Amino acid sequence: MSVVAEPPERKVSPEVLRKRMIAERQKKSAIWKMIHILASLKLALLLLATLAIACATATFYESGFSSKIARSYIYDAPWFTFWLAVLCVNLFSVTLSRWPWQKKHAGFIVTHYGIICLLIGAMVGHKYGFEGNVTIHKNRPPLNRIVTNRSALQVQSPADNALYLLPFDAEMPVPTEAHPRILDIPGSRLKLVVDAFNNNMQRRPQLVEVPDGSAGILLKLQSTMVGRTMEMPLLLEPESARSQDFFGMAKIALAADLPKEVASHPIETQMVFSKFASVIHSEGTATQIKIVLSKDGKEITVAAPDGTGATYHREEAMNQAIVSGGTSVVVRQYWPDFEMRDGKPFSRSDKPNNPAVVVEISTTAAQTENSNKPALTLSRLPNGKVAYQISRSGAVYAKGEAAPGESFQLGWADWSATIEQSLGHAQSSEVMEPGKSLPANEKEGIPGFRSYLLNPDHQKSAAQWLDSGGSNTLTLDGQVVTFSYGLETRPIPFTIGLLKFDVPRDEGTETPSNFIATVEFKDAKNGATKVETTRMNHPASFPGLWWNTLTGINYKFSQAEWNPQDLDETTLQVLYDPGWLFKWMGSLGICMGIAIMFYWKPFKS
Amino acid sequence: MISAKRVSFFLIYLTAFAGCVFGAVTDFTSLDRMVIQNEGRKKPYLVFAQEALLSMSGKTALTIDEQKIPANEVITTMWLQPEGWNKKPLILINNLLLKKTLGLPLTEKWFPYEALSTNEAFQKLLAEATEQRKENPKDKLKGLPKEASTVALRMAQFESLTKGTLHRVVPNLDHANGPWSTIPEFTAAQKNADPALTTRAAQLDTDLSALQAALKAGNQDEFNKQATTLESSLRMVRPEFFPSDRQLNIELTYQHIHPFRWAWIFYAATAIVLALTSVKGRRAGYLVGWVLVLAGFGFQVYGFTCRILVGGRPPVTNMYESVIWVACGAIFFSLVFEAIYRSRYFLMGATPVAVIVLILADTQPLILNPAINPLTPVLRDNFWLTTHVLTITLSYAAFLLATGVGHIALGLIAFKKQPTPALYNYIYRTLQVGVLLLATGTILGGVWANYSWGRFWDWDPKETWALIALLTYLFVLHGRIAGSWSGFGLAVGSVVCFLSVVMSWYGVNFILGVGLHSYGFGNGGFSTVGTLVGLDLGFVAFSIFRHRQMKAAKKNTAVTA
Repeated sequence: MSVVAEPPERKVSPEVLRKRMIAERQKKSAIWKMIHILASLKLALLLLATLAIACATATFYESGFSSKIARSYIYDAPWFTFWLAVLCVNLFSVTLSRWPWQKKHAGFIVTHYGIICLLIGAMVGHKYGFEGNVTIHKNRPPLNRIVTNRSALQVQSPADNALYLLPFDAEMPVPTEAHPRILDIPGSRLKLVVDAFNNNMQRRPQLVEVPDGSAGILLKLQSTMVGRTMEMPLLLEPESARSQDFFGMAKIALAADLPKEVASHPIETQMVFSKFASVIHSEGTATQIKIVLSKDGKEITVAAPDGTGATYHREEAMNQAIVSGGTSVVVRQYWPDFEMRDGKPFSRSDKPNNPAVVVEISTTAAQTENSNKPALTLSRLPNGKVAYQISRSGAVYAKGEAAPGESFQLGWADWSATIEQSLGHAQSSEVMEPGKSLPANEKEGIPGFRSYLLNPDHQKSAAQWLDSGGSNTLTLDGQVVTFSYGLETRPIPFTIGLLKFDVPRDEGTETPSNFIATVEFKDAKNGATKVETTRMNHPASFPGLWWNTLTGINYKFSQAEWNPQDLDETTLQVLYDPGWLFKWMGSLGICMGIAIMFYWKPFKS
Repeated sequence: MISAKRVSFFLIYLTAFAGCVFGAVTDFTSLDRMVIQNEGRKKPYLVFAQEALLSMSGKTALTIDEQKIPANEVITTMWLQPEGWNKKPLILINNLLLKKTLGLPLTEKWFPYEALSTNEAFQKLLAEATEQRKENPKDKLKGLPKEASTVALRMAQFESLTKGTLHRVVPNLDHANGPWSTIPEFTAAQKNADPALTTRAAQLDTDLSALQAALKAGNQDEFNKQATTLESSLRMVRPEFFPSDRQLNIELTYQHIHPFRWAWIFYAATAIVLALTSVKGRRAGYLVGWVLVLAGFGFQVYGFTCRILVGGRPPVTNMYESVIWVACGAIFFSLVFEAIYRSRYFLMGATPVAVIVLILADTQPLILNPAINPLTPVLRDNFWLTTHVLTITLSYAAFLLATGVGHIALGLIAFKKQPTPALYNYIYRTLQVGVLLLATGTILGGVWANYSWGRFWDWDPKETWALIALLTYLFVLHGRIAGSWSGFGLAVGSVVCFLSVVMSWYGVNFILGVGLHSYGFGNGGFSTVGTLVGLDLGFVAFSIFRHRQMKAAKKNTAVTA
């Protein structure tokens, strides 16, 4: 018998009673026990710490490798999603564990439910929404498809010719011969084996012999000075394949006609200083031609916009044209020791302390089709050899014959040409080849992969490279499998077209201050149209009614990219996010909840 | 030998004589109000001169031959009398390795243009940089070629200044925001234009020559007179396109006063007064501290008002502005808390950190650029941006204050003194402000991103680090609730977690260098920040060691008792 009496009920504070009840229910009910275990603060601490560490690691992955890797290993990885789900359970349980709620719990509950709501919104958005982009052009028809950022493989099944879309990112993870990635071809027992990846695919032109083809040659143009090689196919038919442009400076054609002579016109003068010419660009000049004066003032280099060029003695060019490709350059004046004195150029001495020249540049490249560009004209002889003739400003200065495999100098800087192929009945085609791999964060290159077919008897088809945006056909056991690779596109229930695109600039500069696109939406169902503008920070949306905006069941178009070369084109980011309302409510809950928790003191009765 | 000596003596005598007779122009302030278009806005010439010199020399005044030359003098004489400047040491090279490679004296910081332009090794590095860029124009340069091209940009700045191509002082004839031209450009363009303009152009030419002549003659009065004439002739071309007198005054006064420098001086004084009176004369010291801190705060508010009026936008859009804003916010919160609790701790915590941060901003203009430049399009004209950035940076400010107060607690422990529970409560109160603002700011960032970039959350490094910072502070607060640590843990947490703020504030832009928040990207300062962080962590470790010692001692005394 205990002597110590229970304290009288009325003296126990409600808070103690509550705590006692909470402890009691865990003993009685397994469900309550479970809830309190899941609500554990230790678990919360573990979650907070691991999420923080994971995110930090991911940002370093992103900086060191690429954002794709950070996404696939952390942000988009199943374990990360699972961990967020555990977080939701923990948050929910902790609110239950405080049941019955009191006034002082208001902020705590609102905050924790806010986070759950936000995470639900994120899940809904991830599952049912999508992001993508669309590039629209003023002079092209409106579009009703957008490009998502997910890569996919589209396979035409050999069984029923049906098209199958398989989500496939050749880069994640990178396939190798030791660890290839294997996909089942739908409707057949074949497998597609991907065993190499390259992020800088190159298309190489090639000629193939076909019975109904026309005469054709494949030319290889090379410059060791610029370190560049290019291949150029030329065909007599179709007519469009007869001639090609050589960096806008010259014309290369498969034709026998001799060019006529024309005079060139001075179109531009440039002041050139030898000092730091390599750092200060002369971009923005009409011809885009860069003149570099050597430090001693003795040599000048004429460089085309693509970096090709040749070097000459300055004296050679004094008041006497030197011709390089489609350009003729004349040095009009020279100051060895340039200085501005009283607003006029002046040479302090004869020593080349600060050499400067005024050059006059004329180019024939911009002139009409009838006039003659500097040109290489080729003609295929019946014996397979190729007759060539090179003209400058209309005047022929070199001609000869070359057999396949032979080379000749063009006289345009150090460019030389080699006849790679010479066929009587040819057709142009392309082969894909992997190029020199680019750093992982580089977004410029075109990705691609090598693949072959494999049957159950472990027989292989020939392997072929395929780039993003291209398609391949492989054959094995008489079954033809055609597949294409690229970013997945998806339809939208309306069309979008660009009416107007403006790029206002900062005062006195060429720096854009905004991007303003006027777009027209047209509903596919009822044909209703709507014109909207989208500028930086002010997206356009469709349908854009108030409830669309509120719920996120709405297509939102934000300004994403522009093309400085073509101001009639713009790229918009497209977002469709049905999770928006949850995210919004969750956000509001978190902010208000924290404020209430910290600063609202409930009145004590 | 003797004759050579005589000649040189004679030359010295001559120059001295010339100086005597003609005097020299030493005051260039008469040009300060001339309006110039530069870097996308119209500004007073003084501001242009200081920014131009800063980008070339890293300072707003040069010391050549033990004589201090202010920016407006340097830039004006480079413009009107360029002869000889290429022999003056004014191009900044900071990188030691680069100096070594170029065979330059390591103790020097500034070098003449001529010495660099004739330096073979330098030209070779530049050629390398050009080659790298030719291969891949988007590739970021690294190592020596990068350093060399930074220096080359300073040299290009020198060239533009001596050739006068940056002096765009003649207004555009057609548009308020159209490109302005230099006087020679304007004259050339008006050759065959309508007679009124041709006369204007001729007038500008004459005025410029007269100004040049006055400078050459060393006639100060004439120079001042001609400067005013030129200024008014320029204004006459298109008076309606000039900024108002009020605007010019605001910017010039701001430039002269250096409000943020005065702010840290006053804050430093506050910290010193409070520290000295912490034992004796507490009341009087506290009062003086309040007066001093309010004066410093007043300077900061004035500075921000000026920047808002000049830039026409909220003042938190580059690293410099955010650094200054955070210091301002930390002081603001300390004032509010001090008004509530009257504890001294908030002022003593806030002022030293504000001083450190403001001194960094004041002395590192090449890393934290104080120029007021136009914004990238994505940052313009947006309510969400303003609220998002201001909220986030205010949360940094609250955390900065928490760090300051946390340091006081850790410092007391390092000196074997037990902080009061009240002090720990102050840390908690400050952290609350920070957590609320950081959560709100991060979410507002999502709202803005949803609006502007088309998605709410995309794991951009900046937003991710804001989240990480929030998670670490939540970890500290929840750990306290769980009973894993108490007040001392809170103090350690407030200091250590600030590292995640430093990372999301500075690190993402300067260390990671990826992501969409690229408008704040920059370079440098890594060693400074790294050293500060390292020292601080050492301090934290020491106070944890002391805390353990004290705990053990307490136990021992308890046991013996």
